[in-house]
Amino acid sequence: MRNLVVTLVVLFIVVTLLRSTAYVVDETEQVVITQFGKAVGAPVKDAGLYFRVPFIQEANYFPKNLLDWNGEPGQMPTKDKTFISLDMFARWKVTDPLTFFQTVRVEAAAQAKLDNIIESATRNLITSNPLIEAVRNSDREMEIGEVEMDERTKEIVKKPIKLGRETIARKIMEQAKPKMAQFGIDLVDVRIKRINYVDEVQKEVYNRMIAERKQIAEKFRSEGRGESFKISGDREKELKRITSEAYRKAQELMGTADAEATRIYANAFNNDPEFYSFINTLAIYKDSVDKETWLMLSTTSDFMKYLKRYAVQ
Amino acid sequence: MVWSGESRQRDPWSRGNGGLPPDFEKIIENITRGFKAGKFNVLFIIAVILAAWIVFSSVYTVGVDEVGVIRRFGKYARTTTPGLHFKLPSGLETLTKVKVSYVYTEEFGQRTVQAGIQTEYAPDSRYLNESLMLTGDLNCAVVPWIVQFRVDDPYKFLFKVRNVRSTLRDMSESVVRAVVGDRSIDEVISGREDIASEVKVKLQQALDDSEVGLSLVNVELQKTNVPEPVQPSFNEVNKAVQEKEQLIYQAKEQYNKIIPTSLGEAEQTIKEAEGYALDRVNRAKGDADRFLALFEEYSKAKDVTRRRLYLEAMAVVFPRLGNKYIIDPDQQGLLPLLNLQKEVKGQ
Repeated sequence: MRNLVVTLVVLFIVVTLLRSTAYVVDETEQVVITQFGKAVGAPVKDAGLYFRVPFIQEANYFPKNLLDWNGEPGQMPTKDKTFISLDMFARWKVTDPLTFFQTVRVEAAAQAKLDNIIESATRNLITSNPLIEAVRNSDREMEIGEVEMDERTKEIVKKPIKLGRETIARKIMEQAKPKMAQFGIDLVDVRIKRINYVDEVQKEVYNRMIAERKQIAEKFRSEGRGESFKISGDREKELKRITSEAYRKAQELMGTADAEATRIYANAFNNDPEFYSFINTLAIYKDSVDKETWLMLSTTSDFMKYLKRYAVQ
Repeated sequence: MVWSGESRQRDPWSRGNGGLPPDFEKIIENITRGFKAGKFNVLFIIAVILAAWIVFSSVYTVGVDEVGVIRRFGKYARTTTPGLHFKLPSGLETLTKVKVSYVYTEEFGQRTVQAGIQTEYAPDSRYLNESLMLTGDLNCAVVPWIVQFRVDDPYKFLFKVRNVRSTLRDMSESVVRAVVGDRSIDEVISGREDIASEVKVKLQQALDDSEVGLSLVNVELQKTNVPEPVQPSFNEVNKAVQEKEQLIYQAKEQYNKIIPTSLGEAEQTIKEAEGYALDRVNRAKGDADRFLALFEEYSKAKDVTRRRLYLEAMAVVFPRLGNKYIIDPDQQGLLPLLNLQKEVKGQ
């Protein structure tokens, strides 16, 4: 009985001692050992089981893996006086846990430092560059459909990009990185997450987009009408061509025929024009005389001469 | 899929532990209580409990679609394949299971409410901040998309980056916006495939650089559009295109209605002229032949033929005449006797 109590007490002491001596460092962690609040020895950067002096020394854990920073969206004007809201994010690492422990100590403080430093670097870069530099990334030729852009937009869009989105982000990082290094922090990268117009600008942009589209719609309608008129014109022209060509052809045909007929008649009638006149006149008499016709004939005429005399002259 | 899920195993973000180190104090307390109760087999019980704990925390199974990552005192030791495995008891070695063949989906600008044959999406406007972006011509576009991925490297996935999900989401948003930022609004609306494939390449690059251990399976752009206030004007453009086409069709219809008819009419005119020509020439020939025949005989006996022709004509003409007046030129003052006017009126 007594033995058991002793065993248990000893066991308890051993376990407690072990727990305050041994400590485990995870793959994602690193440790700075402090003695009465002061750092002792080199930081432990590799994962595994480690030992320290119990009760006196304390293990302070810091993350070793890649951490993220997400800033509050900030509003700022670009160089061309467009107000935008910018949402950045960054990834960082504690590379020097000792310095980190001495300068910022806790992660929340590090986040606050990142807030300030990245935000001011962002402001520097954004306010000194036109908006298009932060939106576009290359001089890739864009297909701009039917839009008749206003002069300002056209100028902005056509101008070659000097920096571009990624370069601006990189420059922000380059400005912020050395400032973070003094806290034992390595800023791995900074990126632009979202760029949006602030509400008032947004409204103007929407209005511009609407105006652009309305004008495209009008263009299409006008093109439709124009095309329709063109087709109507073609139709009229074609119609006139067809009818006039047919007329010309017909007249030619008839003319040729008339000429032919004339030639035939002339050939025949030239044998004795007087005889032609004679028989044709007689034919006309036959055709034109009717009951309504009055005729006064003199008894001296060839036809009536026999009425007065019958003797052979 | 669910991130703060009902099933722990499906949740890739929680670092599930194989087992916590047992609470020594509690065990000791139990033992003491047993001792006080006067149980003499307390030590035996302790031994049994310890043995059970060792066995239970040493044996584990890894499912077919996952791998087990073992850490010994926090340090990565090995990765085990599906099947039954042994490890050192909890406290010494810990197990984390990672689903490596499961395809996870992250949605941007929309949320699937209920997946199924007819997938329901949450209203887009709530997630507009994720999908609203600037295009290269400084317009605004609404671009919702999904990213599908697998865990490619469990070691990196577990140890290299603390917040894998937010890294993936932030990266996706950043890359999609960068790609859209280099395109005009028209290209964003019509060229979704093109954007998706460029995003996939760039996003994979960014993920590789940040060592999250993820591999993209698919990037898909959902229906891209312009912001809601602008939509009616875009629809108007589509309507105008329709109108344009309709006007052109109408004009073509008129053209086709008239031109073939007039071609036929022209053909008719020409044929008629040809008919006239034939008629004219034939008649001329006929007339000429007739005249020539007559003339031939006439020239043989001119005088008598003339007389005959004349008289034959008179024979036809004379009976037809209504009023015939035969006047002797010797007779004077005939005219007053004839009241021509009256006669006409009397008819």
